[in-house]
Amino acid sequence: MKLNVLNRRSVLGAALAGFSFLSATVAYSATTITIWCWDKEFNGATMKEAGARYAKAHPDVTLNIVDFAKPDMEQKLQAQLASGTTDGLPDIVLIEDYGAQKYLQSFTKDFEPLSDTKAIDYKNFAPYKVALSTVAGKTYSLPFDSGDSGLFYRSDYLAQAGYKAEDLNNITWDKLIEIGKAVEAKTGHKMLDLDLNDDGIFRIMLQSAGGWFFTPDGKSDITSPAFKAALTQYAKLMQSGIYKPVSGWADYTGGFTSGEIASTVTGVWIVGTIKSKPDQSGKWAIAPTPRLDGVKGAVNASNLGGSSWYVLSSAKNKAPAIDFLAQIWGKDKDFYQKILIGQGAFGTFLPAREGDAFKASDAFFGGEPVWLNFSNWLAQIPPVNFGTFTNEADAAVDAQIAGLAKGGSVDDAIKAIDAQLKQQMQ
Amino acid sequence: MAQAPGKTTLTGWLFKGPALTLLAFFMVYPILSSLWMSLQVGKGMNFSFGGFANMWRLTQDAVFQQALLNTLTLLVVQVPIMISLALLMAVALNDPSLKGRALFRTAIFLPCVTSLVAYSVLFKSMFAFDGVVNRFLEALHIVDQPIPWLSDAFWAKTLIILAITWRWTGYNMIFFLAALQNIEPSIYEAARIDGIPRWAQFQKITLPALIPVVLFTTVTSTIGTLQLFDEVNTITPLGGPSNSTLTLSLYIYQLSFKFMPSFGYAATVSYVIVLLVMILSFIQFVVARERRRP
Repeated sequence: MKLNVLNRRSVLGAALAGFSFLSATVAYSATTITIWCWDKEFNGATMKEAGARYAKAHPDVTLNIVDFAKPDMEQKLQAQLASGTTDGLPDIVLIEDYGAQKYLQSFTKDFEPLSDTKAIDYKNFAPYKVALSTVAGKTYSLPFDSGDSGLFYRSDYLAQAGYKAEDLNNITWDKLIEIGKAVEAKTGHKMLDLDLNDDGIFRIMLQSAGGWFFTPDGKSDITSPAFKAALTQYAKLMQSGIYKPVSGWADYTGGFTSGEIASTVTGVWIVGTIKSKPDQSGKWAIAPTPRLDGVKGAVNASNLGGSSWYVLSSAKNKAPAIDFLAQIWGKDKDFYQKILIGQGAFGTFLPAREGDAFKASDAFFGGEPVWLNFSNWLAQIPPVNFGTFTNEADAAVDAQIAGLAKGGSVDDAIKAIDAQLKQQMQ
Repeated sequence: MAQAPGKTTLTGWLFKGPALTLLAFFMVYPILSSLWMSLQVGKGMNFSFGGFANMWRLTQDAVFQQALLNTLTLLVVQVPIMISLALLMAVALNDPSLKGRALFRTAIFLPCVTSLVAYSVLFKSMFAFDGVVNRFLEALHIVDQPIPWLSDAFWAKTLIILAITWRWTGYNMIFFLAALQNIEPSIYEAARIDGIPRWAQFQKITLPALIPVVLFTTVTSTIGTLQLFDEVNTITPLGGPSNSTLTLSLYIYQLSFKFMPSFGYAATVSYVIVLLVMILSFIQFVVARERRRP
């Protein structure tokens, strides 16, 4: 009988202990932060790294990183914000700098003003990045990367055609066309692959001359000399025949990762994609962006893209999301070194610049101190105000590209773009 | 024993009630609401009454005019080709002496059960600059340079027409087949005995009997082509080279979800489509009525 009482009490005790342990675990349940981004090799990969670091101190937090194609994600986001339903929206979303003001001004209430939380010290970020996500004195983003551009080329193909690294340093676009023809003649590889529906290279040319679609106060600036020079050069490039026409992101990246195309001119964020083929290590090199000839003030530096992380007001896990951004993206210098080497993520977190990675050489790119080069070029990029109508401007330019490729008049194209843009901006 | 007319009417209305309520909510209200929205101007959610401002904007908008031209061009070229093709195939497949009719019928109808996006994606990759189609054409020496399907205005439109025709010919063919089965074969026998040639038989016997079906398929094809979106959005999402494959529906989508949203103007463009559908359907009905009168 004594044994029975002991057994019952111990069983009861064990049950109570088990129950309280269970409830404690339930209370300590996992938080999942949902994030939308668009490049598995680049921004998706940087988020994964950030998540892994944050999990060390907060093991209950996991990230759900959803990968989209960029235009699909932008349209899905805009469609949902316009409809007013917040079901299915993520906690954190990546928005490209060109469209930041469009979203913030159209849907101000849907984004969380991170400057209000005081969790992030914006003095640590590049001023231009903070400015482009600020509306009415409130800043909405965690600034991420700059689209510092460069000429990424296969040093082995160029060597085969007789060109060394010095031959590609600070060249003009005309020189690039000349090199492209020689490379194709000697190696059979086309120099570039261009999507004729995407005016990315045109934007690089335009910003390298200090021009943009809009003036700083938001009016259309299509008739400026920088615009005309960029469009003329772009038409020349398209008539040069040194490129393979592609359609869409997969086609474009497939061109140079497969070894078919010899080079590409684009933002530093392409490094993640280039490095996804480790067997090509040592065969790539990076030169400064080609320069526009005949425009005063044109430089061998420009920008394509660049994005920032935003938190949605409707986020289910807003506080953990903001804390995650503030702790890793807003403070962790070591994190920025890792994503620089791994993905070419050129963050705009200024204290990270003192880190070792920013000064190191990269064996993948022929042992050159590429990140130091990108830092120098970053300082030279002519600053422009992207405005709120970049999509409309892009559409206006895209509509003229095919005509220009066939040899159409640049002045007519400019008039058409100006008319279309003014019409869409009302 | 007949009930009092009032009571019958009430019962009738009670039966119709739920369906009418649903229709009112999900069809009538959105239609009226979008009509109201087409009178609003403003970016994003900042609406303000604009009266006829959007209609004035239509006349000034070169992109809209291009989209309208593209849509009408596709209509004028694609619909007659498709209907004629469907008609010919139906007449051919109606011939009892043809072997493997069931197989042909299934094969021609099979495209209609494919998903619009799936087949558009396949067409896009098949007609890429170095895709299957170009390689095939080059191998047969039909062309010596690959055709720039996706980068040339003319070829992009051709590609869209090819895609739509492939997709919908079978659908219309089935309607014609069904109508053909309704014609008495004895009429054809009598005509054959009288020595009337096949082409005259087709003209005088087959066609008049098919007028109602031709009218139906032409009207539905017109409506479908006027609203064309899925194919152009998948194959040429940015409107194609020089906006050559920008249709009205794609333009509406761009205005609402790609650019700084102008929902009021987008609603106005959608009413242009409504107007076009109304006009074209009316014309086609009138023409059919004329032909039916002997």
